[in-house]
Amino acid sequence: MTLRLAVLATPILLLLLDAQAALAIEVNEEYRPQDEFKLDPWIDLPGPLDINKAVFYLLIATALTVGTFMYVANRMQARPNRIQTAVETAYVAMRDNIAGGNMDRKMAAKWFPFIATLFLFIWFSNIIGYLPLPTNTEHKVDVFGVEVPSLALYAATANLSVPLVLTLIVWIAYHIEGFRAKGVGGFYKGLVPSGVQGPAKVPIFFIELISDFVRLVSLSVRLFANILAGHLLILFMGGGLVVLLNLAAVGSVILGLITLPLAVAFFLFEIGLVATLQAFIFSTLTAIYLGGAVAKEH
Amino acid sequence: MATVATSATAYVLGFVQGGGAAKEESSTFLVSPDLGLMLWTLLSFVTALFILRKYAFPKITEALDKRQHAIEDSIDTATRTKAEADELLAEYRERLKEARVQAEEIVTRARTAGASAERESAEAAKAKGEELMEQARKDIEAETRRAIGEIRSEVADLTVAATEKVTRKTLTAEDQKRLVDEALGELDFTALSGERR
Repeated sequence: MTLRLAVLATPILLLLLDAQAALAIEVNEEYRPQDEFKLDPWIDLPGPLDINKAVFYLLIATALTVGTFMYVANRMQARPNRIQTAVETAYVAMRDNIAGGNMDRKMAAKWFPFIATLFLFIWFSNIIGYLPLPTNTEHKVDVFGVEVPSLALYAATANLSVPLVLTLIVWIAYHIEGFRAKGVGGFYKGLVPSGVQGPAKVPIFFIELISDFVRLVSLSVRLFANILAGHLLILFMGGGLVVLLNLAAVGSVILGLITLPLAVAFFLFEIGLVATLQAFIFSTLTAIYLGGAVAKEH
Repeated sequence: MATVATSATAYVLGFVQGGGAAKEESSTFLVSPDLGLMLWTLLSFVTALFILRKYAFPKITEALDKRQHAIEDSIDTATRTKAEADELLAEYRERLKEARVQAEEIVTRARTAGASAERESAEAAKAKGEELMEQARKDIEAETRRAIGEIRSEVADLTVAATEKVTRKTLTAEDQKRLVDEALGELDFTALSGERR
């Protein structure tokens, strides 16, 4: 107990004795935390289809999405075990809440597979983003003579391209549904809320039209920025800040002691809430957009 | 400490804006879309959607529906069985009640029959007795009357004979009759008839 107290008290005492020296900043110009998110090609393939870290994560997410559901689907029991119960709960939540709660019965039945896949794909992408995987090819670790990439956190969804493609699919899908249900003219006429009368319709129409396009940005950036921010927070709190600011030894120890618990807290927050919440928001908004595109009253 | 916070904030802001401290290489790769990754995303997503839609979701839906039907069936069966049991129970109760009523009825009937048979036989016996009595009375009366008649004609004959002996004269039939009647009228035969009423 006394030893622990002494270990904790020493840096604080040193800080109090000479604050200027302890907190001297010499920013580490060599360290570029953003490079954690840089994509270097791992395998060269023709055209732009090089395999890199993000593609690797995408493939894992796809394999997990398909694998989990195929595994459970082929072993459906009348009396479910735990995994089946969990998958069934997710399935029913996606079917009845996300799809069924925001679209009419016919649309929900038609679009449920799409929305469910979207949710699962994003969810698995987000979740594996918090597992340390040996993907940092810039820094290798020698394990019994084999050069292994060091463990790193990364997420495909922390890359704008991935949410952007999903958003584009959603955007195109709900426009097609809208055009099919109301005709092109009818769909755009339906953008104006039904309560708006007279000349106010014109500016409102343009605002709604812009907002229709802004959905491309809002839907994709919401997911991307949330996951990127989560990873950056964990990175900075988990040591990035200490390396970056390159304080004198005492200051680094104090900063490390403060930021490490925060890193754990952010990690739990991200994996426990944000990962699922963002997948839920993305798929729910998709369902709302699809439902709104065919709804009689906008 | 304030210095640290300020510097850190300035650095992070600069970093997010893609410039600042990181001068040498641009950081725009964070926000610029990458065609290859986009194609891979499209490919992965469409593959996942295709497989799940075709092979996974229908099976899960089918299993869930089947279970739901099984549960509904079980509930229906249970309800039906219970209804049947209730019906059966009600029927048995009804039958039991009927049986009890019938038993009571039988007992009552038997009792009534017994009572009436008793009464009838008593009545019959009584009637028979009375009949016998009546017959006996009639016989007695008839016998009495006949005896009285005999006695009367005997007495009349005796009276005539006696009178003839006394008077030495023969009476006319008319006189004879008048005499007999007078004589008999004075006699009391009630003691002979046995009627003590």
